[in-house]
Amino acid sequence: MSDGIRVASLDDIPEGEGIAIDKAITGTDDNIALLRDTDDTVWALDDTCTHEDASLADGWVEDGFVECPLHSSKFCLKNGEVQGLPATKNACPHRVEVRDGEVYLFPRETP
Amino acid sequence: MTRRVVIVGGGVAGVSAAGALRAGGFDGDVTLVDAGDFPYDRPPLSKEFLAGTKDIKQIALQAPEWYDDQNVRLVNRSVAAALRTGEGKVELADGTLLPADRVVLATGGGAARPPIPGIGSHRVHVLRTADDADRLRCELTPGASVLVVGAGLIGAEVASTAVLLGCEVTLVDPLATPLAAALGPELADWLHGLHGRNRVTTAQASVESFADRADGIEVRLAGAAAPQVFDTVVLGVGMVPHTKLAELAGLEVNRGIVVDTGQVTSNPAVLAVGDPARTRHDGELLPRTEHWEAAQHDGARAAATILGTPAPAGTAPWFWTDRYGRHLEAVGHMDQAAQTVLRGSLDDPAFALFGLRDGHVVAAAAVDDSTAVRAARRMIDRRVPVDADRLADPAVNLRALLRG
Repeated sequence: MSDGIRVASLDDIPEGEGIAIDKAITGTDDNIALLRDTDDTVWALDDTCTHEDASLADGWVEDGFVECPLHSSKFCLKNGEVQGLPATKNACPHRVEVRDGEVYLFPRETP
Repeated sequence: MTRRVVIVGGGVAGVSAAGALRAGGFDGDVTLVDAGDFPYDRPPLSKEFLAGTKDIKQIALQAPEWYDDQNVRLVNRSVAAALRTGEGKVELADGTLLPADRVVLATGGGAARPPIPGIGSHRVHVLRTADDADRLRCELTPGASVLVVGAGLIGAEVASTAVLLGCEVTLVDPLATPLAAALGPELADWLHGLHGRNRVTTAQASVESFADRADGIEVRLAGAAAPQVFDTVVLGVGMVPHTKLAELAGLEVNRGIVVDTGQVTSNPAVLAVGDPARTRHDGELLPRTEHWEAAQHDGARAAATILGTPAPAGTAPWFWTDRYGRHLEAVGHMDQAAQTVLRGSLDDPAFALFGLRDGHVVAAAAVDDSTAVRAARRMIDRRVPVDADRLADPAVNLRALLRG
């Protein structure tokens, strides 16, 4: 696992958006959202919002945060820390590496 | 100097004020007085909590450990009886005195009960608290006939949940198209039509009287030929702000506790936030904003005032409603729009409606397309000029439009 799982090309993720990687690929309990920030960095969080059943990959990604598409709770892209209600629990972060335009995911590793 | 803050009321406004005080570095005492066992979130009361798919612990506004982590003293199962502002104390109903340099009133509101004959019947329910929802849920059994009075947000969501639980639902409202001012007539009509498309009988009517009968409650609707009998009635006809504490303390109250743009009442030691607060801006009294996020922002502004830090940046008002599996969000002021632009088709959600004025977005509302509303909010807040034709074209990326 040390090389990570190649899960997408950078071009697959539009800037300011996300894509969900199925848990069958990541081997985690939840799908993982790959989120491309407006500075072109890529981050990964558990996909399901910690508040209700919404996919963070469908959220709004901007300036270091993703905003849940359902009730606008914001999470820090780097560490998953929740920024405001209605969610109260942090999202679980995962480590990501971008090499030669390919995105590698390291599930459960701290970013 | 403020060392001790007492927040009266544990809704989203009060809890947000406590959280924002700590986030802003306040290291004095923060005490939160709440009537329930712990502060819980209200939007689920008409949805998952009413349906029984979430219990009270699952709708807690904060995890139990949050209060210790944040050093917020929760005084639960308590209500404030009086503000003794001259003595710097808040008196609770049991006589306890809490020292307070500043008080934040987050007292919320109660359900309006208009003076309709028979409205005191035990079959007439309202929905403001978890206890209200628990009582109502017992009546929403399969096959029960339920009359919902008022097709605003709470009434409409209760109708949706009652259908989900197998009830026969009738929904009445004196307006032909509820929420038309907030959403524009076109979208409001579509949204109200969802009721009929989900087996709810709707009527434009007001209630003239209720009368208890052995087998139900007899309801006389204005203009109806004959009265109808229902098992249960739910009123969703508005909110009455809880202003009694403010009135007793001699604060300025005018259909709401009057505050300045920093949430300060007519007494500098007392602030007010959330549903009962009414802002005076440039000498003009604004309408109360009875929405979840507005309450959260009030709490953050009150904390900034207490901390003496700049108020958080303002943003266009936003709300959501969930019904019949559809998620609607709205942002801005649709009644200020000179022109509306539809992105997508009302026949095929998801879609979004944008309100424009002078080449700028002033409002948007969308069904199952929150990205459009997120984009619109930024277009409004940043005053981004937009082209109506490009906005209407689903092939044009809204993030790209936002970048100009």
